[in-house]
Amino acid sequence: MSSALTRLLERLPLKKQTAQSGIRVFSNQEQRQEIEDDEEFRVLSLRTVKQQMQKRQQVRRDPITPPRTGRMAVDQDWTAVWPGPRSFHPASVPLPLRQGFTERGAAAPSKFANAELMKIPNFLHLTPPAIRQQCEAIKKFCTPWPKGLETEAKWQRHFPLEVTTTDYCQSLPTIRNPEARRVTITLKLSDLKFDAHARDKFLRLVGDRYNKDTDLVTFVTDRCPQKKQNYDYALYLLTACYHESFVTEPWEATKSEADMEVYLFERNQSKVSAEGILNWNAKKGAPKVVPSKSFAECVEKLINEGENEYNLGKYKEEVKKMLNIA
Amino acid sequence: MKMHMKHLDLYSQAIKTLRWTQPMRALSTVNTSSGVQGNLSPAAPAPEPDKLYSKLEIELRGIDPAVLKSYTWFATTAAEHLGIEKGKCWSPRKAHHERMTLLKSVHIYKKHRVQYEVRTHFRYMNFHKLTGSTLDTFLEYIERNLPEGVALQASRTELQEIPEHLRQPPEQV
Repeated sequence: MSSALTRLLERLPLKKQTAQSGIRVFSNQEQRQEIEDDEEFRVLSLRTVKQQMQKRQQVRRDPITPPRTGRMAVDQDWTAVWPGPRSFHPASVPLPLRQGFTERGAAAPSKFANAELMKIPNFLHLTPPAIRQQCEAIKKFCTPWPKGLETEAKWQRHFPLEVTTTDYCQSLPTIRNPEARRVTITLKLSDLKFDAHARDKFLRLVGDRYNKDTDLVTFVTDRCPQKKQNYDYALYLLTACYHESFVTEPWEATKSEADMEVYLFERNQSKVSAEGILNWNAKKGAPKVVPSKSFAECVEKLINEGENEYNLGKYKEEVKKMLNIA
Repeated sequence: MKMHMKHLDLYSQAIKTLRWTQPMRALSTVNTSSGVQGNLSPAAPAPEPDKLYSKLEIELRGIDPAVLKSYTWFATTAAEHLGIEKGKCWSPRKAHHERMTLLKSVHIYKKHRVQYEVRTHFRYMNFHKLTGSTLDTFLEYIERNLPEGVALQASRTELQEIPEHLRQPPEQV
């Protein structure tokens, strides 16, 4: 066998020199032919045989370089390495991170080939220098808050109307959110100019939209599909209620005593009773005695503001004075 | 032809300037630099005054409290760099739980159940005293950097004057 191989090696340059075209044969067949040549007559081969030892095409691969973190400078520009949001990449992040669960005693898995680190959103692109750099870039689009409106009392005087709208940002197939149509308009009642009748009527028109404790009137509109439409509708509601409150209809004069929201002494039974008591047993034609103004005010306070110690004491004094009881 | 191209360039420059609702100073510089003030005025409208927002309330919701915390830190840091006054930033102590208690088998065996749960964590941020340009810039910036899986809701409170037709009572009643 070894002698056959040596003969093969010796015959190679000869075959290369004789450049002939033909059909390639398998190596084992070739070896058999060589063996037969040595021992017996050569087998007659009418077809020209060319045999070349061709090496297999070796695939070149790039050498695997060590991780980039080993060649990073300590004072590098990190925003150039990691400019935007991106999945975690172990060869680019120069941190010895570990993440995952192991059995007792073992360390957490390293950052290489770690799927857990790739799942979570990371903030490696929003480092403090990156935030500062980006904010400096967009600062030219901002305008400062105007001087003279530093406190709420100052801007409340100039801009009493507040409009509240909402925007949404979420991962949906559409960027529109139907909840964004809602518009809220808030206004202090004292910022509008009313007379007594108009104020009363306005409060009846707005109903529970008025908050007595905070003196705020709030309109929330959401019946139109767009924000601008709801904003215009809210302003229309405010305008309509305001102007309607100054209109006095004929049927408003027929307001009965039970509908009064405040107690008015002049239109109540108390006045008639007090006059009856004062003019008791009076002669016909004598001038009528009317109760004093302070008594009227006292009764109104007692009923409108509620019964407390001060009001009851005042009422007692006024009744004594009216009936001439010492 | 050159003059026409120059005018087009000026118009595009003016429109580009107006896009970001810059204050009056920027437009005045454009006018003074151009020198053809009469030509610009019909094409470019006068810049409207910037809006005023007294409050911007941001609500974040997500399933990972650590991500919400990092995002809140990022937003407040950006607000400090932009000169925005930061208000109260808080989160509720407990997450919102949605639970479903189902039978473990498909039909009977009532004693054997399984419970599925979705937890939603919330975070709230408040910013005060922003102009319209500042608010749009700030919202654009933080919304672009919103991580996946986090929903953001921004409520803005705009300050306005009372409309003209509401300042005085109507004359005729």
